[in-house]
Amino acid sequence: MKKMLATLLALVMVVLPLAGLADGIDGIDPAEFKGATLNVYNWGEYVDISVIREFEKTWNVQVNYKTFESNEYLWLQLASEDAWDVVIPSDYMIERLIAAKKLQPLDKSIVNNLDQLADGVKNLPFDPDNTYSVPYFWQTFGIVYDTTKIPVEEMEAQGWDAFHNPEYAGHVYVYDSSRDAFMMAEKALGYSANTVDEAEITAAYEWLRTMHKTIRPSYVTDEVIDSMAEGLKWMATVYSGDASYICSENEDMAYCAPYQGTNIAVDAMVIPANAKNPKLANIFIRYMLDYDASLANSIEVGYASANARVLEELSGPGGEYEGIDAYIPRSDYEKDEMYVDLPKEWQTEQPNLWAKVMAE
Amino acid sequence: MPKKSAGRFFTSGYLILVLLFIYLPILYVMVFSFNDSKSMISFSGFSLRWYESMFENREMLESIYYTLLVALIATVVSTVVGTVAAIGLSKARPLLKNIALELNNLPVLNPDIVTAISLMLLFLSVKIQRSIVTLTLAHITFCIPYVILSVLPKLRQLDDNVAEAALDLGATPVKALTRVIIPQIAPAIFSGALIAFSMSFDDFVISFFTAGVDVQNISMYVYSMKRFNPSVNALSTLIVIAVTLILVLANLIPALRERKDKKEEV
Repeated sequence: MKKMLATLLALVMVVLPLAGLADGIDGIDPAEFKGATLNVYNWGEYVDISVIREFEKTWNVQVNYKTFESNEYLWLQLASEDAWDVVIPSDYMIERLIAAKKLQPLDKSIVNNLDQLADGVKNLPFDPDNTYSVPYFWQTFGIVYDTTKIPVEEMEAQGWDAFHNPEYAGHVYVYDSSRDAFMMAEKALGYSANTVDEAEITAAYEWLRTMHKTIRPSYVTDEVIDSMAEGLKWMATVYSGDASYICSENEDMAYCAPYQGTNIAVDAMVIPANAKNPKLANIFIRYMLDYDASLANSIEVGYASANARVLEELSGPGGEYEGIDAYIPRSDYEKDEMYVDLPKEWQTEQPNLWAKVMAE
Repeated sequence: MPKKSAGRFFTSGYLILVLLFIYLPILYVMVFSFNDSKSMISFSGFSLRWYESMFENREMLESIYYTLLVALIATVVSTVVGTVAAIGLSKARPLLKNIALELNNLPVLNPDIVTAISLMLLFLSVKIQRSIVTLTLAHITFCIPYVILSVLPKLRQLDDNVAEAALDLGATPVKALTRVIIPQIAPAIFSGALIAFSMSFDDFVISFFTAGVDVQNISMYVYSMKRFNPSVNALSTLIVIAVTLILVLANLIPALRERKDKKEEV
């Protein structure tokens, strides 16, 4: 009898805590991940870090959060079998990673909140049914400009043509990125941003040369963000996420998504094929898409959230980005495009041509 | 006389210009670490918020910790290995010594990027996951040549007879090494270690290609920032202060000791 009681007690002791935890979150038992480390690889300065800390607390795990600065470097890391659990590359790189079989499909039974995605980031060409990826932030490439120097109507009427307007000579920054520069030229000429047609590429190259000669831009990278917030020049090409930061720092600044069309860029969360902790990675992705995490991240970073409710609230009355056009990327505009991965030769040739333009 | 003072004015003016050229950027960074806003161009008021945010930023602190850890391990190991190698080379046949020295110079003259990519390919080809271990190995590798270069000239100045005398007087070879040779070359070992430490602490390119999932050093961390964050200024300021303190102490302590010795002699 005594022995039986002891056995019973022991059983109860084992079962009770399990029962308590089992209904923790969606039937997933956090004890399963005890002591686990999740390796997350994101762009630098692209998160509200307290969101990560919260995830660690909830699931009692360690998040090894590291940062990178270019899709190409990320590609190198994944190609050399570094074991990341969640990485956040851009659209064209996801396309390349899928083609190279470097990603694993998401577990939709865990990532079951895809209905929270904003309309603008649903059905994306590189992964139409979110088999591999869940959008994180998205934006358009466009022009941030000083409305005291260039009136709104004047800018909206010109779009990309503003970069051929000699009146602005000496007052312009152009972002030093060959892909975006050629996109701007191709859109100004009415071509696709993914064109591989030689005549069109030559025309785009000439367009850029004319731009270089007529307005003598300063070619910059991320220092453009601070410089435009200080109002050092009249206009600059930037991504809308950075533009919304600039506009919130400096009231005179406005953002224009050119009427000729532009690039829509999406950074999305994916799970590499060699991830050590895919289940936890799926949980992390769901957590990051959820309202609370999305809200905190979007407020901190200033980029447009992939979460529909966050997007609406932040740009709506009383929201953090009320009245800042740059915050919500334009969607459903037929002339806008996403980048597709360029053929190899053009990938190497494009930066060379761009360097030639800048060196002239 | 006025001619002379004009000359002096010119030389000291030139010196000030050179010093300004070197220190103005550092000063600029330090001043803006106390800025109230995120801007790097206009100073809007004094605040310590970037220091606060730096100490709250676990990723940043972790990267500093790893930078120091790797630098310390790399310094100790490369100093020991480099010193032993230098002592051995100093006794080697001239042909072997020359070949070894040329081979030693190669990685020093080689652009970092070549060393970095060859190390990465090496690790990949033998299927070693890149991690803090490979990072440290890489740092040890590129530090050793500097230690050898620093120690070897000092060894050349040594009188061979001293070590031989020690052996004649009954010292074991180990004793002769630790009691006679090493004390004489200690300053060179120390400066070799300092070079190794600063090379490792500074390194970006080689770390960039040899670190794995688990580690990111401070240069990599700063490089990956999409938007500039003045916490980096706060960190740089602290590093500058630490280095200045170390330099001051390194110069003061021997001077003080010398003075003390002199007093005792009197």
